[in-house]
Amino acid sequence: MPKTGSKRGEIMAEKLVILVTHGPEDPEMATIPFVMATAAQASSVEVVMAFQSDGVWLMMKEMVGRVHTADFPPIQELLSAYMEEGGKLYICGPCVKSRKIALEDLVEGSLIVSAATLIGEITSATSTLVY
Amino acid sequence: MAYEPNEVLDCSGMSCPMPILKTKKAVDKLEPGQILKMIATDPGSKPDMEAWSKKTGHKLLEYQQDGDKHIFFIEKV
Repeated sequence: MPKTGSKRGEIMAEKLVILVTHGPEDPEMATIPFVMATAAQASSVEVVMAFQSDGVWLMMKEMVGRVHTADFPPIQELLSAYMEEGGKLYICGPCVKSRKIALEDLVEGSLIVSAATLIGEITSATSTLVY
Repeated sequence: MAYEPNEVLDCSGMSCPMPILKTKKAVDKLEPGQILKMIATDPGSKPDMEAWSKKTGHKLLEYQQDGDKHIFFIEKV
């Protein structure tokens, strides 16, 4: 539900930023952020997912379909649902560069960003989760 | 009270968060006042649906349990 902003009385939508720092080396910690993101969207919360450190491996086209942990839906299925609902995917540029990941290998709809972009998202969000 | 659903959604066998995602999509297609019957086997579905309805404002009219099946009647607001 929208809530009223405290300063100017405007209507503010809720926004959640989720920072993902784990990759295929920890499938459960890689999957849970997508679970939380899609559940938030289903509750009418705007979501931004940001991938840093080893989390950027998850944004490789060939990797995203491979990560699956028991008793959770596959990341590929959750990612598709997330994108259908207009979710944003931000990827740490230096993290991609240091791992020698080619930009053309990243999933469609993802966007390379710098720290300033993430700070802008985090400071304008109502909540931030770090995985 | 027995409710006559306009749509039935069977989420049996689905794990978190799929029942919530499917429910949201199904409710989006309803007209206000129409009722969705949702069936889930995920053991967390009861608190999930209570939290979801509180958050979205859609009415959780009734909850039933039949063995491992959790059955929800939800009215779109």
